[in-house]
Amino acid sequence: MLEFHTEKFIIPIGPQHPALKEPGHFEFTVDGETVTGATMRLGYVHRGIEKGVEGRNWTQAMYMLERVCGICSHVHATAFVLGVERLANVQVPPRAQAIRTLVGELERIHSHLLWLGVAAHEGGFDTLFMFSWRDRETVMDLLEELSGNRVHYSLNVIGGVKVDITDEIREHLLKGMDYLEERCKYYLNVISTDETFLGRTRGVGLMTLQQAEDLGAVGPTARASGVQRDIRIDAPYAGYSQFPVRLVTESTGDLHARFVVRIKELFESFRLIRLILANLPESELTTRVPRRIPAGETISRVEAPRGELFYYIKSNGNEYPERVKVRTPSLCNWSSVIVLAPGHKLADMPMLLSGIDPCFSCNDRMITIRHTDSNRTWSWEQLRQYGIEYYR
Amino acid sequence: MNLTVPPLVAILFFPGGLFLLFSGLMYEWIDRKLVARFQNRIGPRLIQPFADLIKLLAKEEVVPQGVNAALFILLPVIAMAGALTAALYIPMIGLQPSYSFQGDLIVTLYLLSLMTICSGLAGANTLDRFSLVGATRTLTQLFSYEAPFLLALLGPALAASSWQINEINQFAQNNPWMILTQPIGFFVALVGLMGKLELPPFDAPEAETEIVAGAMTEYSGRGYALFRLGRNIELVIGLGLVASFYLGGVNNPVDFLLKTLGMLVFLAALQSLFARLRIDQTVGLWWRVGALLGLLQFLFLLVLR
Amino acid sequence: MKIGALFGDILRSMFKRPVTENYPFEKKPAPARYRGKLVWDPTKCTGCQLCIKDCPSDAIELIMIDRAKKRFVLRYHMDRCTYCSQCVVNCRLRCLEMSNEQWELASLHKEPFEVLYGKEEDIQFLLNRPAQEKADQPVTKPTEPPPSPKMDISEFQEKE
Repeated sequence: MLEFHTEKFIIPIGPQHPALKEPGHFEFTVDGETVTGATMRLGYVHRGIEKGVEGRNWTQAMYMLERVCGICSHVHATAFVLGVERLANVQVPPRAQAIRTLVGELERIHSHLLWLGVAAHEGGFDTLFMFSWRDRETVMDLLEELSGNRVHYSLNVIGGVKVDITDEIREHLLKGMDYLEERCKYYLNVISTDETFLGRTRGVGLMTLQQAEDLGAVGPTARASGVQRDIRIDAPYAGYSQFPVRLVTESTGDLHARFVVRIKELFESFRLIRLILANLPESELTTRVPRRIPAGETISRVEAPRGELFYYIKSNGNEYPERVKVRTPSLCNWSSVIVLAPGHKLADMPMLLSGIDPCFSCNDRMITIRHTDSNRTWSWEQLRQYGIEYYR
Repeated sequence: MNLTVPPLVAILFFPGGLFLLFSGLMYEWIDRKLVARFQNRIGPRLIQPFADLIKLLAKEEVVPQGVNAALFILLPVIAMAGALTAALYIPMIGLQPSYSFQGDLIVTLYLLSLMTICSGLAGANTLDRFSLVGATRTLTQLFSYEAPFLLALLGPALAASSWQINEINQFAQNNPWMILTQPIGFFVALVGLMGKLELPPFDAPEAETEIVAGAMTEYSGRGYALFRLGRNIELVIGLGLVASFYLGGVNNPVDFLLKTLGMLVFLAALQSLFARLRIDQTVGLWWRVGALLGLLQFLFLLVLR
Repeated sequence: MKIGALFGDILRSMFKRPVTENYPFEKKPAPARYRGKLVWDPTKCTGCQLCIKDCPSDAIELIMIDRAKKRFVLRYHMDRCTYCSQCVVNCRLRCLEMSNEQWELASLHKEPFEVLYGKEEDIQFLLNRPAQEKADQPVTKPTEPPPSPKMDISEFQEKE
């Protein structure tokens, strides 16, 4: 009997592939239809934002950091301004904190609805994709009415928020929440009972609690395995101390549980938004923050829709930040994919990849380019100069 | 309806040839429009499939490295030829088949499978990893749905005691609709048609999000256009076959249109309801549920004869 | 255990109007708060340039024709602007606001993207100044980033 296992059969997914919305390179070693190994390479969307903020003043840096990711832009800006306000030792008025929380929850709804559609599309369930993206239009219209833009809401300023909630906006928000809640109940029903969908998600990517802790998974990916960690509860920031959230976990740990956790988080968001709208504190919207932030360093943790977002900000008393380091949640969840992939079928790979809700734009930090013998780290100016010279 | 058409015209223009291509494109448009409406979208315009065809024919055909060039260029042509030839034996548009002889049911079914085998071979021909996986899946799926589908089509043949499509058609027109006497067979035949045409949920061989385009990844331009046309023609032929067997025979054009379009609505609904099945789930489903149902129907027929 | 859980929904969708907006033929109006093109009122401006200091993308330039008499012209680059409205927030005298018009920003040339705001006579004065004078140099430049060392990149260029 001939053995055909002498060479490895590698299927590349990415950097250009219909399964990925953003570039990233995965190599799956397959044997027939079963995956036996996985590696990955990121770094295709590295833009040098952390270096870019070092040359801009605090406000300009906030706008730059907002554009690390398109769909979690508000939490990036919130994390940054919370840190800066802590360094500057100012108290933000309560109405601004409440509005920040409100938009954070709206953004979570936006992100989870988008993810639901994308994950369904990866599994071939195009109808659910179309329906959930149609409902996402509702929340985008609400955000456009509130802030002025459908993504990149740009609500934060250092010291508060820019926009206020009028009664008309409040009415529209409440109506929107009612509509979305009904649709989400329907989606929860669909994904829990539809037999073909369950066949694709049940038992796929099973991650036990111990594995989740060892691999360092965060966010809904970890909570689906039973990890009881949510930054909004463990370390409340902005308005979450006044409007607490309930923890949503599942214990099964497979792909289906991740779907269920995210949809249940949507219900929590609806409840929280209604609560905030009913109890919005009366105060002004901003407070005065000096242009030069006092020297010091601080960390700032928030709960992005994908998990824990971590900022380290260092100031040396100037108008520019000295160093900002961003650690995004998607970066923590990749190891779970690579470790869990072997043993599954090739057809499960796109669903596994999208099950952690990857945001490639958030991921890419500074990389070290190895050039044969030298091992040098490049700076912004050097990179630019290299690019200019290369194309001459 | 009996219409005598000179053989050359029958093959090239009507009811085969150009007319068949035209009706294939129309059916593709109706299918896409229906699926879009089920998903609350607008869907393509009427001339969209024609525009797609003309655009593809106008593009350069890239022959990748490492393939057998003759095979690469010939396989779409052979697939298309198989599909077109199969149309000669079925009552297209309600008219008499152009050629009819004893046993042409088997020939038609083999010619329809020729299309699938050609696309599987086309995928295996290249060095591209995606195409190889796609080809494997295509051939695996061929082995899984073929048996129940054949059984479902043999049911009416058994009832009519003939292997000739024309005679089965006549039998179906003169007797109560076989959908009532053999409901399981009808259901298996329709879902088997979805498997043959690789429509969702059985589109694992062509899964866009996993293996780009499966066996047809490397094809572009004319070869790709021919494969897609072959698929569309198979849609018309398959629907015509199932309509003439189970839905009381097709007698005239209006009859044909109504019955096939009714089934197309049902097919479009099935397409938008389900998630894509993995290839092992497809095989499991067909060999367990499909074959069982087919055999059951067959047994009923034998017993109740 | 259910097969076809979406059935009711797709059946209803068949009879509802499609949700797709017929975009180029029917355009929905932008909401009131939409951050579109920037609009400047020159009557109240004192020339403090706080708006320029915090702009993330150097989209505004203030050209001083006569500082004492408060004759300024604002040059606004619509293609550079990120529509963040930070300038609107910074201005203490409410000279700036973001209108909700002109959000379709596609053009075949660069010229329509540069907009000059100001009193009529000031703009005419600016356009009539000869090109050799520093007519197009704004008096203030946006904040400079701290310099970094120039590198000899020849070692990284590909050696054939």
